[in-house]
Amino acid sequence: MRILIATVQVPFIRGGAEVHAEGLRDALRSAGHEVEIVAIPFKWYPPERIIDHMLACRLLDLTEVMGTTVDLLIGLRFPAYFIPHPNKVLWILHQFRTAYELWDHPLGDLIYSPNGREVRDAMRHADKQFIGQAKKVFANSANVAARLKYYCNIEAAPLYHPPPDAEKFFNAEAEDYFFFPSRLCLPKRQSLVLEALAQTKQPVHVLFAGAADQPGYQDELDKLARKLRMHNRVEWLGQITEEKKRELYAHSLGVIYPPIDEDYGYVTLEGMLAGKPLVVCSDSGGPLEFVRQEETGLIAEPEPRSLAQSLDQIWKNRSVAKQWGEAGKSLYQDLNITWDNVIHKLVN
Amino acid sequence: MMKLNWFSPLPPARTDIAHYTTRVLPSLAQLAEVTLWTDQTEWEPSIEQLAEVRTFDLNHVPWVELNRADVNFYQIGNNPLFHSSIWQTSRLHAGVVVLHDQRLHHFFDDFFRVQRHDLGSYLTVMERYYGAAGRHDAADSFHNHAHKIDYMAEQYPLTEFAVENQLAVIVHTPEAYTCLSAVLDCPVALAPLPFTAGTRTPVTRPVGPPYQLIVFGYIGKSRRLNSVLAALASLPDKEKFQLDVYGDLLDGTEEVNAEILKLGLQDRATLHGFATETQLDQALAQSHLALNLRFPTMGEASGSQLRIWSHALPSLVSEVGWYATLPHEAVAFVRPGEHEISDIRSHLESFLSDPSAFIKMGERGRVLLETEHAPQHYAETLIAVAKLAQEFRTRVCANRLADRVGSAVKGWSTPSQFEEANSDIAGRIFELLATTEQDSI
Repeated sequence: MRILIATVQVPFIRGGAEVHAEGLRDALRSAGHEVEIVAIPFKWYPPERIIDHMLACRLLDLTEVMGTTVDLLIGLRFPAYFIPHPNKVLWILHQFRTAYELWDHPLGDLIYSPNGREVRDAMRHADKQFIGQAKKVFANSANVAARLKYYCNIEAAPLYHPPPDAEKFFNAEAEDYFFFPSRLCLPKRQSLVLEALAQTKQPVHVLFAGAADQPGYQDELDKLARKLRMHNRVEWLGQITEEKKRELYAHSLGVIYPPIDEDYGYVTLEGMLAGKPLVVCSDSGGPLEFVRQEETGLIAEPEPRSLAQSLDQIWKNRSVAKQWGEAGKSLYQDLNITWDNVIHKLVN
Repeated sequence: MMKLNWFSPLPPARTDIAHYTTRVLPSLAQLAEVTLWTDQTEWEPSIEQLAEVRTFDLNHVPWVELNRADVNFYQIGNNPLFHSSIWQTSRLHAGVVVLHDQRLHHFFDDFFRVQRHDLGSYLTVMERYYGAAGRHDAADSFHNHAHKIDYMAEQYPLTEFAVENQLAVIVHTPEAYTCLSAVLDCPVALAPLPFTAGTRTPVTRPVGPPYQLIVFGYIGKSRRLNSVLAALASLPDKEKFQLDVYGDLLDGTEEVNAEILKLGLQDRATLHGFATETQLDQALAQSHLALNLRFPTMGEASGSQLRIWSHALPSLVSEVGWYATLPHEAVAFVRPGEHEISDIRSHLESFLSDPSAFIKMGERGRVLLETEHAPQHYAETLIAVAKLAQEFRTRVCANRLADRVGSAVKGWSTPSQFEEANSDIAGRIFELLATTEQDSI
């Protein structure tokens, strides 16, 4: 089949969504399909620009290319999933979140605009109008599916996919650190981890890997660590190679991943693939679909004391931590999180 | 319960729109969570018993809080002192506009010419709505200190501009409803101006003559005080009347006093100046006939008329605009222009010959007030319109998108190609934001 994957791209920004699209493309190609990614440049400010992009997507014609039919369009992200096609399947990574669960939320920005309500309602209207018209609708996770149901009354089946190079993750003897790989930004809540560290009773160490989204944010975190006198208990590794990342997973005591209402979250799956216990928060969204309390990790309340207690518990109980890590790896395998399964659902 | 923001002048601002807000609020607050927004620095504390009062200035509008509400209501009238900030806020955040005047040119003349000294924007707007003739007359008006402002308001009301890209419009007169519903694509609702009739008490007016005549409000030329004085002066039995004038005289007290002296009415007419609400109600309760004339009119419904009726007081009104739509059983009409003085005089003579007929007229006015102007009904209409307005928000978004696309596409191609492209894009915009059918792929 000739398949196009429709997504959006903020120039110079690379994250999980880009990895996701490339992973899908590669898997489809491996299955023998002819595949391209169509990435629409996206800008979300001022808010009316979002509406412009929605219209731009509706004006595109991807039904054929030079007389040859495009057999299937797989839409991943707003507003690229509005691109018309008679055989369209959606696998929604997430909707435009500040129009939904992040509308009146500390992480939301749309509500600060004079026309925020108008643009929000327009996005919601268009989502309701067009998402349901696809032949099939899948969501990146049960969390994303639940939002679609709650806000738009649209049914979507969760469809999990493996993180990049899933087969390369390995397990090794635990050393004295937790690993927290992620972009440094407010939604990932590195600051909450620093505040929790200050309340731990054990000499917990954390290695943070990842670059800051905003220039200066790492300095802010570093200042907070110093203010809390935790700077000797953390390391800021910055951007690291994938190989180094897998090595750090493998040797970690456990993996910390406490974001706010994450859509899916590769970190959880990567931690499971490395056979490590996870520490997440009760409002972390997607990660909660994979972490079983005191079976594969710990679910803390999103506040420093609770998170500190979870870190201490794993730090003190190495053998239990090892068991939870092994159980996590086993759970991952039971969930059939494979590209074969994804392609079967999307294409057939 | 809906959450509403209500932008309005508040008492003690000297505009009846402030009083209108206090009349509506008790009923509206029963049906919705209302926050009052004002750019005034002070207001009567009693109003805070009806709703929370918040202040805003255009440079620091708390958009988060406005966005949290379901709908904003903007009170728009001709006085830029009270409505300039409100109108500018409405341009940034669409809402429901309550129009207190049917023609808004006075407002925009002041806004562009007096406040902004912005000829360019004024001409652009006038040309957009009224073509080359509008632009030409606007330039003339701007350069000549709005010397023909009433003509400009009549010819070029700019009301559509005042409510451009809004979610809904509420008007108080059938004439405004007919005009605006024909040209606006947003919902337009007619809601008779509300007034709290209050408990009906027995009329205790002194037995005349002399009979008390009353004129009150913000008294400029359109209130026809000179015609009233002239009619009174021409009356052989003028000593049977006493005229009381309450309110600010916009043309100055001296000028009016000079006219009174010239006509020999110094014993028959008294200028009281500004009166408190209580003083005014006491005066109305003691009066026998109100003269509530307007010419020209900006088409507004009159809160003053409702107040007159609340006292079961008979009245003379100009036979124009909203006043002309009132039942003839409840008011007596005065034709503007050459018949104005003779009509007033004729009604005063009729009053002297049959005061009871006028008493019945006042009674019928009171009944009309109680049946058609109840604040509870008005508040229910506001809520219904607010619900419609929410549904219209994406349509406003579509209109703005169409404007942006139109600007972007303009100049790309020949006029025929432009039309074709626009038609296609318009269809897509409609499909994207303004349809509910599940009919596209």
